[in-house]
Amino acid sequence: MEAFGFHYSFWLTVGDNYMKLQLEEILAEGRALIAGADSESSLNDLRVQYLGKKGHLTAVMKTMAELSPAERPAFGKRVNEAKAALEELLDQRFREVRALELEKRLANERLDVTLPGRRLPQGTLHPITLVTEEVTRIFSTLGFGIVEGPEIENDYYNFEALNMPRNHPARDMQDTFYVSDDVVLRTHTSPVQIRTMLQHRPPLKVIAPGTVYRRDSDLTHSPMFHQVEGFLVDRQVTFGDLKGTLKTFLNRFFGRELGVRFRPSFFPFTEPSAEVDIACVICRGKGCRVCKDSGWLEILGCGMIDPEVFKAVGYDPAVVTGYAFGMGLERLCMLKNGINDLRLFFENDIRFLRQF
Amino acid sequence: MNVTWNWLKEFTPCLYSPEELAHRLTMAGLEVEGLRKFGEGLDSVIVARLESVDPHPDAERLTLCRVDTGTERLQIVCGAKNHKTGDLVALAQVGSVLPGDFKIKKSKIRGCESQGMLCSEKELGLAEESAGILILPPDAPVGRPVFEALGLKDVRFEIGLTPNRSDCLSVLGIAREVAALGGQTLRFSPPRAATGEGDIRAFTSVEVHEPGHCPRYAARLIRGIAIGPSPAWLARRLESVGLRSINNVVDVTNYVMMELGQPLHAFDFNLLRGRRIVVRRAAAGELFTTLDGKQHTLEADDLMICDGVGAVALAGVMGGENSEIRPETCDVLLESAYFNPMTVRRTSKRLGIHTEASHRFERGVDIDMTPVALERATRLILETAGGTAAQGRIDVFGAPPERPPVTISTARCNAILGVTLKAERIRELLSSIGLSVTPGGDLSDDMWRVAIPSWRHDLEREIDLIEEVARLHGYDEIPATLPGCGVDSWLIPEAANRVARIRQALTAAGFSEVVNYSFVSPGCWDKIRLAADDSRRRAVPLLNPLAEDQSVMRTTLVPSMLEVLARNLSYRCRDLRLFELRPVFSPRSTVGKGNAALERLSLCLALCGRRAPEGWAQSNEPVDFFDLKGAVENLIELFGLGNVCFVPDGGEPFLHPGKSALLKNGERVLGFLGEVHPQVLGRFDIELPVLICELDLEALWNAPTEARKFRPLSRFPNVQRDTALVVNLEVSAQAVMETVHGVGSRYFEEAVLFDLYGGPGIPEGKKSLAIRVRYRSDEKTLTDDEVNGFHQRIVEALVKRLGAVIR
Repeated sequence: MEAFGFHYSFWLTVGDNYMKLQLEEILAEGRALIAGADSESSLNDLRVQYLGKKGHLTAVMKTMAELSPAERPAFGKRVNEAKAALEELLDQRFREVRALELEKRLANERLDVTLPGRRLPQGTLHPITLVTEEVTRIFSTLGFGIVEGPEIENDYYNFEALNMPRNHPARDMQDTFYVSDDVVLRTHTSPVQIRTMLQHRPPLKVIAPGTVYRRDSDLTHSPMFHQVEGFLVDRQVTFGDLKGTLKTFLNRFFGRELGVRFRPSFFPFTEPSAEVDIACVICRGKGCRVCKDSGWLEILGCGMIDPEVFKAVGYDPAVVTGYAFGMGLERLCMLKNGINDLRLFFENDIRFLRQF
Repeated sequence: MNVTWNWLKEFTPCLYSPEELAHRLTMAGLEVEGLRKFGEGLDSVIVARLESVDPHPDAERLTLCRVDTGTERLQIVCGAKNHKTGDLVALAQVGSVLPGDFKIKKSKIRGCESQGMLCSEKELGLAEESAGILILPPDAPVGRPVFEALGLKDVRFEIGLTPNRSDCLSVLGIAREVAALGGQTLRFSPPRAATGEGDIRAFTSVEVHEPGHCPRYAARLIRGIAIGPSPAWLARRLESVGLRSINNVVDVTNYVMMELGQPLHAFDFNLLRGRRIVVRRAAAGELFTTLDGKQHTLEADDLMICDGVGAVALAGVMGGENSEIRPETCDVLLESAYFNPMTVRRTSKRLGIHTEASHRFERGVDIDMTPVALERATRLILETAGGTAAQGRIDVFGAPPERPPVTISTARCNAILGVTLKAERIRELLSSIGLSVTPGGDLSDDMWRVAIPSWRHDLEREIDLIEEVARLHGYDEIPATLPGCGVDSWLIPEAANRVARIRQALTAAGFSEVVNYSFVSPGCWDKIRLAADDSRRRAVPLLNPLAEDQSVMRTTLVPSMLEVLARNLSYRCRDLRLFELRPVFSPRSTVGKGNAALERLSLCLALCGRRAPEGWAQSNEPVDFFDLKGAVENLIELFGLGNVCFVPDGGEPFLHPGKSALLKNGERVLGFLGEVHPQVLGRFDIELPVLICELDLEALWNAPTEARKFRPLSRFPNVQRDTALVVNLEVSAQAVMETVHGVGSRYFEEAVLFDLYGGPGIPEGKKSLAIRVRYRSDEKTLTDDEVNGFHQRIVEALVKRLGAVIR
């Protein structure tokens, strides 16, 4: 605007009065109209109206014939300058109007982004699968392989080879489902130990997750549940190694250093045997209903593999030693996720399953 | 096993607080599962004298009592019947809190004020059951706290014993551990034999026909006793460990069993025909009634205690009704024996009789304790029931069982535990529990020779001693290390990888995983309409199921899945996409080595309700067959299976005949899919359509796969042509697509069936299909003319081969 004002006043000093006045009016009017135009189409109309072949400035240019030849060049120059000025104004306004129009359009397109998104159906894995995967992953990083075994198992693998002959009181520790005299639903994942040791030679370092069955059903017992068995057989494996491995696992699984204690216990297939307690994850060891005020939660059983087991698979207990452990996956999962009812795992209520 | 603080103290001084002792026992392998303090917080329960007992003016069954506490006189309303004026009773004063958080307040009962409560043993936590209120001995000091005055303050340790520790099934055994933990010595000396009149052999005899099953049988005879209630201390002791007091003689046998671990049995001597004992095996089929009144049929394996005529007790398990102690019994034959653990276990297990006695015998009692317990019980009976013992005892005992010493090497012990214990420390630890440890005899001082006492049946091998060392040293003292050995990590089995990929794909497709019990009801085969000869009816049965509806191993995942759907639908969760990936089981057709049954991984998918999650921007359309088929097709693609096809009319009896298919690879069936038959849905109370499929994953994995081979990408755009055609209803989509593919063209890229229509505008018996074919060249942009030529050939083939009319 400032630049245009300068040209205009300069021109007044040289031009014919009448024509000067006419040009001034045209420019003033054009300038106002352009500034007031609020759409691209009205600006296009103004461009035709002022700069077109029949436009106002063209008309002014045509009146130049009335001027003396000496005045014409200067006048012509002034008209052209006015034309350029209007053109520039038009272009500028065009840009402004476009920006405004875009702004307006975008404003009109505004969404309520608080509306819920268009979801695809999303499934969940059963918590037992998730906890199995996690346990497996942790032991994999500790160098354990994975083996599996059948759920319908021979008495020999499930009991006898594990130092539990028939009529042994230790069999009372596990109520067994029988398929026949010699065939049971495995009561633990330990038979996988026997099968693996029979098929391979040491060193062995594997875990065996799987489904197991015991003839017991109440608030805290399910006739079907899941375990992970793990064992390491080599020369010079110690009880200290067992403690180290399980402490490492438990700290990783629960995501923090937590109190772990090993307590003497009895399993026919390990000696020395231990039960492992962790500081109660609910009350952090202070004592609560879940840990029965003891501050500790029993989490798994373990021990050094009994020499009788090695004999059953043809290993020399004077040469190899090993440890084994087994833990209930439902229990791990319940403690980690604060699930208070074992039955939920097998009711398959979608409202439960979707929480994982 | 329950023991009390006061009882333990008879054998060893306890250096620790009850809580500390409980912790130490637990950490030594005797897990204290419960700690019960008798009389804790009950000092406000005091001895009071009943000054008067009158009927309640307004309630027949209540009495109005006036009691003297030594400092005041109170009125108490009482509901018991066993009290009378002058009795000393336990008064819970107002403000007392009895076990079970029972607060005693001043109250009005049927209009009469009651300023406290007269307590029963049960209310004081002293017994599980009690009839009437506790009447205290006449010398109890009025006004003093009851527990303190009568020495009733005690702590009960409830110990969960592992089956190997039969030596701890007695107060003595646990005291031995307590003493070892505190570095104390056990105070126990066997009682002197009770003297008597007249040699026992003149009155009776014992014959053992089965020394293998009964290595030791000892007996004493006591005559002229009077059966009656036990003295308070005896009854209280038994109640403190959870046993019921019965009469003086029976209580003594129980007391000695709890104290020394040796079960005893008392026979009414005058009911023994021939006045003698014969230990023999039962005759098969013989009937015998135990003292609980139950009749049992015996087998030849059962060991019986007999008199001159027949059986009077199941050896080590339970006595007979025909010889039990009765109120009028005056002569008692007391039995203390050692029975073979296996013999007792077999009988107890087969007959389903589990007693305190059988529990101990089948785990092994201390054979040297047989006469000791007998003398202890004899003395206590004479003390509590009077009478006179016959002189001497019968003790039928062959050679004592051999208990060879066990050697333990310090180096081996340290190697297994991962510790560096000195030999001397090992000796100390083993000696502390009563083992006799001597140098191992070889030149090195690495070895110890350990004599195993008769009460430790679990110590037979070096490893057993190593465990004792670890236990007594303390597991906490063993440093945690990580194994230093180099073991190659095994590969994760291929099946596990595949299963993980399926799970991932299915959750991404919206399916949630369920896990059902592996056992189902045999009735479920009828429920899903399986034919009588369907192989899936041949399921592995359980001999001892928990319930009929959990009695066979499932051969298909379908029935459990339908039950899960029904359960969720009953909770009004209607939009369900579920899968289960678990084994199914079938009997092996041939007997032989290997697995006991066939187990195959099976995958079941089920869908019902809306296709998309409920929402403002989603349609409410229900799922149909093609949602399920799409999911199956994705799985086929996931594994790159070639040459699989969906064959209509699958013939599964539980599927809609027109909305189902078999998935096949050549002749091999990989699975089925379809809408569930309405009749089956009805049987499961499901009211909306359900799509279900089950795939045999092992068959699926064994099907040939198409190798994934890279194809170079064309740099040119494709050109597409749409064609709508009308064909007879019977013409399958597969026929159309095969025709399109069959024409073949150098530039053919892909064909999609993108519309299906029938209805107004399409003649009856016809349908309209629309296909889109895309063409693309690797070398150039195809012109319209070129593409029209190719496409025309496809159109002609459709017209010619399928009678299609182009719209």
